[in-house]
Amino acid sequence: MTLRTLLLLGALAVPALTACDKGPSKSEAATTTAAATGLTLGGGVKLKESVAIAALLADPMKLNGKTIRVEGMITDVCPKRGCWMQLAGSQPGQKLKFKVTDGEMVFPMESKGKWAVAEGVVAAREMTVEETKAAAEYEAKEYGIKYDPASITQPKVAVRIDGTGAVIRDKQ
Amino acid sequence: MTLRGVKWRKLFRAVHRDLGYVAVALVLAYGLSGLAVNHIEDWNPNYSYDERAVAIGPLAGSLAEQEAQVIAKLGIPRAAVRGHFQESANDLRVFLVEGQEVRVDPQTGRGTHKGLAKRAVLFEVNALHLNNLKGIWTYVADVFAVALIVLALTGIVMMKGDRGLAGRGKWFVGAGLLVPVGFIIYMYS
Repeated sequence: MTLRTLLLLGALAVPALTACDKGPSKSEAATTTAAATGLTLGGGVKLKESVAIAALLADPMKLNGKTIRVEGMITDVCPKRGCWMQLAGSQPGQKLKFKVTDGEMVFPMESKGKWAVAEGVVAAREMTVEETKAAAEYEAKEYGIKYDPASITQPKVAVRIDGTGAVIRDKQ
Repeated sequence: MTLRGVKWRKLFRAVHRDLGYVAVALVLAYGLSGLAVNHIEDWNPNYSYDERAVAIGPLAGSLAEQEAQVIAKLGIPRAAVRGHFQESANDLRVFLVEGQEVRVDPQTGRGTHKGLAKRAVLFEVNALHLNNLKGIWTYVADVFAVALIVLALTGIVMMKGDRGLAGRGKWFVGAGLLVPVGFIIYMYS
């Protein structure tokens, strides 16, 4: 086999490999924009009905472990890896964290203020006061958030959605 | 080195040289991104921030009215507003296009106007390096990874004699191996 033959085979192999792509198509890919529906991430959204964030936060243990769909305005995005976003509930200060494994989906920082429809599994856990303080301290340190230990006097139920897919669009 | 009439060392040198030309762009891109994301605890490799203090005076009325006052006092066009969120009684957040945000205390009107900008070049090379694109890019990156393996293997066998693997090459390869092996031993000790 001559060098010329080797190079020719190599040149043919690259487009052949890419043509054999069995992964998501461009419209389904993690960071692809679809004009009509917005930016589709991960597996997208398959459920038809959303659970209100306020209702979920009112009794998170009831839906613990269940796959649900939620939606709301994006108030915060993980500034380091884009691996989580917070969705606003209907009440002041009410937010729900939507978390994915690093790199699985990347939520763009400029998404704040946009509307997200997101799907995933509810992960709720009752924490002690010490755990609540430790969690708040970690978040404060990690993301530069203001934190006053004296403000935490009651145990909290940690609730988040372990995300499987989301659609982000400009408006509700 | 010949085997069945094929001059293997010559072939390896040619493959190493030409594959190196093909791979040089991605090697530089991945190297640059590697430096950037390696220090993610110290800085944001994808975005830069610009924050300035604002003092627009006390706000009144409903949240929508307060939002309207914020943008009017800062001269922000209505089309640039995405929405608002009341974090607490003294923390109103108004979200703008391109990730910008005005955050003020409605009682005092003091707060910040935070801007966000993608880091040119780094944002793009990080997206490639961290495979944020997914889909077909995953396979392109696989081909690139195989190319790096081929470059490494052809690199160590393309020279012969004192400058080859049997000569001083083995000491350099050994030194390069010691570094990661040393850290792995440290990791488990």
